[in-house]
Amino acid sequence: MKKVICLLLVCVLVIGAFAGCGPKAPEKVEITWWAFPVFATVDGVSGKYEKELAQKFMDENEGIQVNVEIIDFANGPNKIVTAIEGGTAPNVVFDAPGRVIEWGKAGHLVSVDDMVKDSGLAADITNENVLAACGDGTNYWMYPSSAAPFTMAVSKTALEEAGMLDRINMEGDRAWTTEEFVSLSKDMAAKGYKGFEMFAKSQGGDQGTRAFVPALTGAHLTDSEVSKYTMDTAEGIAAFELIEKGMKEGWLTPSIASDGGMAIKNFVTPVNNTFWCTGLWSPNVAKGNADLMKEAGMEAIGLPFPSPEGTDTSLEYLVNGYAIFKNDDAAKVAASKEFVKFLADDEVIGKETVKATNCFPVRKSFGNLYAGNADMEFYASLSEYYMPYYNTIDGYSDMRPLWYGTLQKIITGEMTGEEAAKYYNTEANKTIK
Amino acid sequence: MANIKSTKKKVFDTTTIIILLFITIIFIFPFYWIITGSFKTRLDSLILPPQFFPLNPTMASWEKLFLQPTLKWFFNSIWISGITMALVCAVSTLAGYVLAKKKFIGAVTLFSMFVFAMALPKQVVLVPLVKLVSFLGFHNTMAAAILPAIGWPFGIFLMKQFSENIPNELLEAAKVDGSSEFGTFIKIVIPMVKSGIAALAIFTFISSWNDYFLQLIMLTSRENLTLQLGLATLQGEFSSDYGVLMAGAALSALPIIAIFVAFQKSFTQGITLGAVKG
Amino acid sequence: MVEKITSNKSKPNWYQKLPMKRRETLVSYLFLLPCLFFFVVFVVIPILMGVFTSFFNYTSSSFEFNGLDNYIRLFQDQAFLRSLKNTIVLVVVAVPITVIFALFVGYVLYNRKSFTRSLFRGIFYLPVVTGTVAVTVVWAWMFDQYNGVLNWVLMNMGVIQQEIAWLGDERFALMAIIIILITTSVGQPIILYIAALGNLDTAQIEASKIDGATEWQVFRHITWPGILPTTLYVVMITTINTFQCFSLVQLLTSGAPDYHSSTIMYLVYEMAFTFKQFGYANAMGVILAVIIGIFSIVQYKAFSSKG
Repeated sequence: MKKVICLLLVCVLVIGAFAGCGPKAPEKVEITWWAFPVFATVDGVSGKYEKELAQKFMDENEGIQVNVEIIDFANGPNKIVTAIEGGTAPNVVFDAPGRVIEWGKAGHLVSVDDMVKDSGLAADITNENVLAACGDGTNYWMYPSSAAPFTMAVSKTALEEAGMLDRINMEGDRAWTTEEFVSLSKDMAAKGYKGFEMFAKSQGGDQGTRAFVPALTGAHLTDSEVSKYTMDTAEGIAAFELIEKGMKEGWLTPSIASDGGMAIKNFVTPVNNTFWCTGLWSPNVAKGNADLMKEAGMEAIGLPFPSPEGTDTSLEYLVNGYAIFKNDDAAKVAASKEFVKFLADDEVIGKETVKATNCFPVRKSFGNLYAGNADMEFYASLSEYYMPYYNTIDGYSDMRPLWYGTLQKIITGEMTGEEAAKYYNTEANKTIK
Repeated sequence: MANIKSTKKKVFDTTTIIILLFITIIFIFPFYWIITGSFKTRLDSLILPPQFFPLNPTMASWEKLFLQPTLKWFFNSIWISGITMALVCAVSTLAGYVLAKKKFIGAVTLFSMFVFAMALPKQVVLVPLVKLVSFLGFHNTMAAAILPAIGWPFGIFLMKQFSENIPNELLEAAKVDGSSEFGTFIKIVIPMVKSGIAALAIFTFISSWNDYFLQLIMLTSRENLTLQLGLATLQGEFSSDYGVLMAGAALSALPIIAIFVAFQKSFTQGITLGAVKG
Repeated sequence: MVEKITSNKSKPNWYQKLPMKRRETLVSYLFLLPCLFFFVVFVVIPILMGVFTSFFNYTSSSFEFNGLDNYIRLFQDQAFLRSLKNTIVLVVVAVPITVIFALFVGYVLYNRKSFTRSLFRGIFYLPVVTGTVAVTVVWAWMFDQYNGVLNWVLMNMGVIQQEIAWLGDERFALMAIIIILITTSVGQPIILYIAALGNLDTAQIEASKIDGATEWQVFRHITWPGILPTTLYVVMITTINTFQCFSLVQLLTSGAPDYHSSTIMYLVYEMAFTFKQFGYANAMGVILAVIIGIFSIVQYKAFSSKG
């Protein structure tokens, strides 16, 4: 008898589980927003700020219900793919062009062409590259909000300790040469500090090493039209050879077991080992780690990547923006667009969300949000070094595993620098279809 | 002669126990480290030489942990494991009984299929499973993390083993008394395989609690995560904060450990009864 | 797995007018209905779908028949070949070690005091109940290159001069995974062996000891045959468990370096949800199923011929 009761109970539970996802009274248009944790957290609670934003929007738009979710960089990308395939994709995603363009091309997104046009963004944009980065040449798939360069950083604390702080250029755009970087690296290594971490575990933060390597010798990852990869040039080969040498001689740190996030952690928490520099930095990262650095008693200085002349470096940049997923519900798409406009363009909220990323607005009309902040002026000055934005290239997401895969091959000694350069370039070009 | 032998044996015994104790360190250490780590500050949890006992004990990590939807994850895990457990037990007991005690057309084929499928990891059908669940409309719901697990026939195998111990005479006697098939099942079979059901229940609960893979591909929104997934997510978000990770790990481990300790006897008994028979 | 024939005496009843075999079949399938429903929907149908789509160039944007291309590509794909090798290494190394270690522990413990037995049983089962994700978090820290305790100990002892990237070095990454896998899967076999050894006929063992048999002889001729069914079962569940090893790879190494610690179970996931090559991932799944089938048959044959 007990069993029968158990069975009944189970049936009820299963039905309950199904019913949980069943239709709810469709009074409100319900949309879901997934955000990578790019906004600085409020009170250390991830998602709190995003929820406040959604609440403000709902107060103004009573017919719309916004559900907020934070996704992390390590598991988030696969999770979105899982959700797309599972038919449970969100309505709005706060992300960067790399992934977004690909979803757009695969037909998962609603184009934001109309929003770009209606809001006059093209006339108001601070840097045309940024807007171009949000589309595939035919359609815009992402509605941009803020941008900032990816740079490297050095530990002020470690350099002071070693008496080498004067080797860093603190003027203007803080440009420095490869020669200066290499000799400082060697001197710091001699004092027992760990050098630039060549992290190569996964695609987490790979943009850091991918900008660093070509910059060293003035090579370019792609041609200026972004139509093919160009790391098999003399400069490209020299770049790979230089990092191979650096790792062998010990002034670069080979690090297959770390991704970008772990490299940042190693840098900002010098409790056991001190890395005097890191290859993955941005004003956004600096803000996100401010507490931890304070706790660990260290200070960081952002710098551009070194290059042969110092002034010919090239930097990748981060573009934050919103993408809207297609679903067959026109009301949800319309509500999503309203919400995105609110987040990105609203007179007050628009500026606030840009500041929450500690990046720069993509709209000229937003003006200088960081007046008087020397650090932010430095980051702003780097925009002239922005490299052609190649994250929208066909096959970009297939090229990324090749990048860290190639670094791994150099670290394990399976390939020399020259072999690696040729291998990477050939294979990467195959991903452009 | 006998004396020397027994002294020798004693020395041998003591040595092996000492070796075992030494080996147990790597079994206990992760758990110990999780518990102590959850009370350390985030720098203390990183520092070398490691602090074997938190020098500046703090609840900060636990507080941070509970700013996440941790309780929701906890209850999701409980629900998913609990319902999976109940369904697997019901379905497997029914099936195991007939496979052990009935001679019917297709029995051998069916059982061979079950045995083969039992060995298959879910990765084999990863994409179709997601597509199917999506087609049925319950991706990212609890049902998605429950129902596919019911299909995996490990429980059937175990319950068949148990059911074979039921004396045929008992079943026949019930029949003679005019009991219906289902009546016999309820009155004779279930009491006879009770310990098997208990073992299967605990076993299923634990494996479902730890079924990271199925949960990973089926649950996406943060509110719907389980403790295991939530913990993996925290690993992504708090990579610089071992303290929060350890607190999360402790929270995900403690309920299961409590269950194991509470039911150790019926668990070990059940699991061995089913298997030792062979 | 011997089918037992049940002979039931008939009493006139409505459905008993059916021939015996039919009647039993009808009843049996009614009992099997729930389990068949789940089995067909969540195992059989996905397997068929997987096999079918493995012949397609199936990605997030295309779905075209391409015959055996996926399978041909598999055997030219270094990532797959490495994962295949690792999967086999994992099973061939981890399963025997787990079984032998479990047998050793069981043999040492089975005739101890009940307290000692329970204590050790609990300890060896601890990683299982702690949960793989939680245990992995700790091991990841131990193996960490710059903040990990293992490198710290070895460097202070002067064994190594440079930190080793345990999880990023092709010589160690898979070994690290195997060690963790063993600690998280040996608990149940130990429980089984302690019980099986405890159930053996002690009189027979004592008798042969009095006859002057050595400990080894006793083990070889009495104990081992007695626990053979348990061993078969342990080998079986350990193999299943090893073939399901996914979270360790995903959480610890993501297959690094360069797929030297990847397994097919992980690669299927990466191929599907990182590269969105669904048809290709399904082809891998099919191959994985075939390999598991071969392993199961070999194991079954090996043990049934011995027994």
